[in-house]
Amino acid sequence: MHDGAPVVKLLVHFGRELRNEGLPIGSDEINNFCNAVAVLDPGDVDDLYWSGRATLIARRDHISIYDRVFRRFFLSERETESDEKSPPPSPTTTHAVLQIPDSEIEAKSGSDEEESALGLVASDAEIARDKSFAACTPEELVALRRIMARIRLTPPMRRSRRRCTDGARSRPDMRRMARETMRMQYEPPTLFWTGRKLRVRPLVFILDVSGSMSDYSRNLLQFAYSSKRAAARVEVFCFGTRLTRITTALDLSRLDDALADATQLVSDWDGGTQIGQSIREFVQHWGRRGVSRGAIVVICSDGHDRGDPSVLAEALEQLSRLSHRVVWMNPHKGDGKIFHPNTLGMTVATRYVDSVVSCHSLRSLEDFAARLPEFR
Amino acid sequence: MDQPSPFAIWYSAAHHQVDIKANAQSPTVNHESGDPDHQGVKQLTDTLEGAGYLADRGLATALFIALELGRPLLLEGEVGVGKTELAKALSEIFDCHLIRLQCYEGIDTHQALYEWDYARQMLHVRALSGDQVQDTDAVNRLFSADFLLERPLLEAVRAGNQCVLLIDEIDRADDEFEAFLLELLSDFQVTIPEVGTIQAESPPIVILTSNRTRELHDALKRRCLYHWIDYPTVDQEIAIVKVRSPDVPEMLARKVVTAVNHLRKRDLTKPPGIAETLDWVAALAVVGSTDLDAQSARDTLGSVIKDRDDLTDVFSDIDTVVSHA
Repeated sequence: MHDGAPVVKLLVHFGRELRNEGLPIGSDEINNFCNAVAVLDPGDVDDLYWSGRATLIARRDHISIYDRVFRRFFLSERETESDEKSPPPSPTTTHAVLQIPDSEIEAKSGSDEEESALGLVASDAEIARDKSFAACTPEELVALRRIMARIRLTPPMRRSRRRCTDGARSRPDMRRMARETMRMQYEPPTLFWTGRKLRVRPLVFILDVSGSMSDYSRNLLQFAYSSKRAAARVEVFCFGTRLTRITTALDLSRLDDALADATQLVSDWDGGTQIGQSIREFVQHWGRRGVSRGAIVVICSDGHDRGDPSVLAEALEQLSRLSHRVVWMNPHKGDGKIFHPNTLGMTVATRYVDSVVSCHSLRSLEDFAARLPEFR
Repeated sequence: MDQPSPFAIWYSAAHHQVDIKANAQSPTVNHESGDPDHQGVKQLTDTLEGAGYLADRGLATALFIALELGRPLLLEGEVGVGKTELAKALSEIFDCHLIRLQCYEGIDTHQALYEWDYARQMLHVRALSGDQVQDTDAVNRLFSADFLLERPLLEAVRAGNQCVLLIDEIDRADDEFEAFLLELLSDFQVTIPEVGTIQAESPPIVILTSNRTRELHDALKRRCLYHWIDYPTVDQEIAIVKVRSPDVPEMLARKVVTAVNHLRKRDLTKPPGIAETLDWVAALAVVGSTDLDAQSARDTLGSVIKDRDDLTDVFSDIDTVVSHA
């Protein structure tokens, strides 16, 4: 580079600026950036822009942030609109509605006294196990949620293309046989086999958080949280009138934080319902990109749809083609074996879903967890 | 920030004057007219054009840097915007061999890197007499090049800069596979336990493509330069059509491209890429139409729209599509 040091300093500053905006930029990236500029013309803004984009950015989502910082840093442009920033999802006033279950810390910090107290609550919960969430007292709900946190989901398995030694013996394992023959002083080989490995199917939750589901949605959210921690690949979405992805919020290790974060993301808590529209949004933005490929998609909703039923039908038809199984959880199904759809949405939906299960009580959720491995 | 940045001062002293606010999409580049100022980038753009590949400023710069620094280039973008084509064009302009590794679920080292020819090894072992077994040379030969099956990555390392390595649709491979690539992408070497490390004498040109059906691991991305290929502008796309199908009249090319651009704005499951534009032009040529009207569009729609729902949607509204053209 011609006049060396000041330019490098500038480029490093720019890199740090980007880092301050939250982009994952290490010294290696900055080094690449300097090298790239060195082979080009550092006096040309175009070259500068594109060399930075090629070396510092590794995700499409980061391009807009890069553009903004570049304008500010190199072109001294003032940031005109504040909404140009990808804003952190704005907290909405409705989040206070969420009844956050009692902190888990209390239950975890294990002195004997507390454990016995927990046991007491648990036995209370035993009684409430079959009770509908809607009919439970707040104390009972808290207890139920603690139990719910312990439900472990095992999604069904599928055969992957990867092979392993102890599989279903579909193909001779030449590698192992050759190795074994050499090891055994060139004895005739014993037969070894390989088979397909099994992989866990992904699980996708799409939760209805609209007004008509308010008695259940918080419990379902908690259920989704514990599922996320139990199974390997889980995606969680919420919808009322529009779809929100809350998977990343649920990654937080503390239940309270996770639920609080998730609620902040959802802006249409306890509002109206547009099931068809929301499912369509899911199909368009996530399903088609492969999120639900080979997955078990669980939709939790009562089917009270204010939108056009034909939209719902179309969206579900597409969804059922994009995913392995679609399961509909309906709190109004109750315990009965036979279910008669009671809402227009449900009538439409039953044609396209593989199974309708109940989710009104802890027992029904446990039943679902037990049945899950069968959806293969 | 009222003070102009140090670079802005330094820059204004430089002799270039670029219309900075020309393009809202990328702050500095006017895609349509912006001729690269840098000699190397300009040359590269021209050479690529000679091979029938029209690269915009961003892609040409990213590619130039990748070539200059000897780094792999990771291309992401919508389906059919010419990610794979770029590797083909490169192998053409540098007149070297294209080694393609098509990724798929379950691909592992034995399909991508190397494999021992086990059957031959075993036959060879059987053929050795008792004395020969004691001979270390005979045993060592079992793990010599004679018994090593070269797979694309090893082939590329051996060929060095005499080849272009295309690792296609890396997002289709499962994430475990990405880890196999790390050593190759950072040091252009592969390690085979029985043989040792084989290093490329000079780094090959490596192009990776991804359709972004899943996010790639950061460790992989860190070893590559990154470029997102967007859909081209209408004029660029017309230019591409003309380069690829020189016999097509300008009018028809413009109509098809405008219609395709309209289709991209619709909410389709699979928005058509440049590949589809070219297919459509070719399909129209096959049925012998020189104009894009409702009838000919209907007849050849299968070359652009490849999803049943999209097809019904567009079919019923074909007049709008054509009228945009």
